[in-house]
Amino acid sequence: MIDVKNLTKRYVGRTAVDNISFEVGQGEIVGFLGPNGAGKTTTLRMLTSYLPPSSGTVSIAGFDVFRDSLKARKQIGYMPENVPLYEDMRVKEYLYFRAKLKGLSGKDMRERIGKVMDRCGVTDVRKKMISSLSKGYRQRVGLADTLVHSPQLLILDEPTNGLDPNQIRQVRELVKELGQDHTILISTHILPEVEATCDRVIIISEGKVRASDTPQNLVNRLRTAGTISVEVKADPSAAADKMTRIVGVRKVAKDSVDEDGWCRFTLRVEASSDVREELYNMAIANHWPLRELARHHATLEDVFVEVTQSEQV
Amino acid sequence: MRTFRILLSKELRSFFLSPIAYVVLALVMLFNGVAFYASVRILQTAPSEGSLVTWTFNSPWFYLSYFTIFPLITMRLFSEEQKLGTIETLLTAPVRTTEMIFSKYVATVIFYCVLWLPSLLNFYVFQWITRGMADIPTGQLIGSYTIVLTMGLFNIAIGCFASSLTKNQIVAAILSFSMILLHFLLGAFMLYLSGQSNQQYAELTSYFASIQHIKSFASGLIDTRPIIYYLSFTALVLSLTHQVLDFRRWKV
Repeated sequence: MIDVKNLTKRYVGRTAVDNISFEVGQGEIVGFLGPNGAGKTTTLRMLTSYLPPSSGTVSIAGFDVFRDSLKARKQIGYMPENVPLYEDMRVKEYLYFRAKLKGLSGKDMRERIGKVMDRCGVTDVRKKMISSLSKGYRQRVGLADTLVHSPQLLILDEPTNGLDPNQIRQVRELVKELGQDHTILISTHILPEVEATCDRVIIISEGKVRASDTPQNLVNRLRTAGTISVEVKADPSAAADKMTRIVGVRKVAKDSVDEDGWCRFTLRVEASSDVREELYNMAIANHWPLRELARHHATLEDVFVEVTQSEQV
Repeated sequence: MRTFRILLSKELRSFFLSPIAYVVLALVMLFNGVAFYASVRILQTAPSEGSLVTWTFNSPWFYLSYFTIFPLITMRLFSEEQKLGTIETLLTAPVRTTEMIFSKYVATVIFYCVLWLPSLLNFYVFQWITRGMADIPTGQLIGSYTIVLTMGLFNIAIGCFASSLTKNQIVAAILSFSMILLHFLLGAFMLYLSGQSNQQYAELTSYFASIQHIKSFASGLIDTRPIIYYLSFTALVLSLTHQVLDFRRWKV
């Protein structure tokens, strides 16, 4: 659906997007992540033909966004950051204007607008001026606009920016629902959303793609994925010594020892192995009272921090 | 063509539904009314060479409206789109940059014509209430409105250009005001030079001097040279506007 090859955008004295390539297949929901200023918005603007690239090519559904720009644009529903709207129009009027621009007309257009207004929950504000709408409603009007011409591809730049938790949940539901019959590229900072909705994640930082995989694989590959914490009542050095000998344990770190004799350890293990059973058996065999045994599930947030703050995973 | 029509009707709509349109309309009507009244007074007091039309279009009040209209009606065009960010949604829809520019330009020209209609009515109303006694030469009327329209086409293009340069409407207004004033003063200066010294400037002057154009057209002399001059500059300035808007996106 999207095919990006060696895309680069140079400004005077600064490279915003540095030779990135990726693909998004038909029907995928892809999360596009990166710190502020990483080049996300620039990339999305190049995908939607708002900014011409310095070099490289983008094709959307087989149309080059630069040479076949108008055809490519018809395939895309794009919602820019902060949802720009004409303040002096009414909601319904705005949607009619946009639908006409995107080539709809007549009865078909009226039906389609009715449908997207229902779907995005803006039917009850359709006669209001856009300038009087709250942030949440503006966002939904923007979303209705992106959907109005039934595009194959939705590109959403921070659609949950500035929304309250309820609204974020609504947007998540909507994105999930839309994902059934659309390809979606979504840029956001709300990582639990991405974990819940996206099939794949692309993380960029300083204009380069740092990681591209399913959220699960990214998490599994992460160093912090293999951490187990144990709290036992035992002689600290003997316990540490014994635990180090378990197969799959790379490193044992002693965190704390309190006056009652409880010791806390953090074990770094191979990402694929789970040594909790051995630890349990060892505690029984050595008569160590055990009060905590937990494996830490790394989240996409850990991946994000690691990937964007250091080298490649 | 369809896209152009959709954009044009949207632009016209935002002209006629905004309070600015009516404020400008009222202001221009007032200026023209005063200009008309002033010329009636002149003809009332003493016999004079000119007619009602020539005196109206030589009145300082006419120049006042000439200098205030253009910045007011063009400052919003591209600045507002850039400020709101709607230029991004507009240009990622299947819309060409030229279609966007022409729709805005044509809408402004239509609004400009509407602004001048009441002043044309002044003459007819006056003729009607004086039961045809007032002498209003049709040729002068045609000449005057021809030059008002052609100079309008040119100045609106300048306004578009100024508006494409900045996000700030005030800056756009001041820019277009300065450019229009500079062009006018340049003409006046050339006229002064040609009066001062040799004949070789006179030829050149006839192209630049807006005052001269207004005077000759208002006396019913339709000269094609200024018309070609203004129209070709309109084309140049509009293509510059296109370049600016596209260059903004390129920003190499």
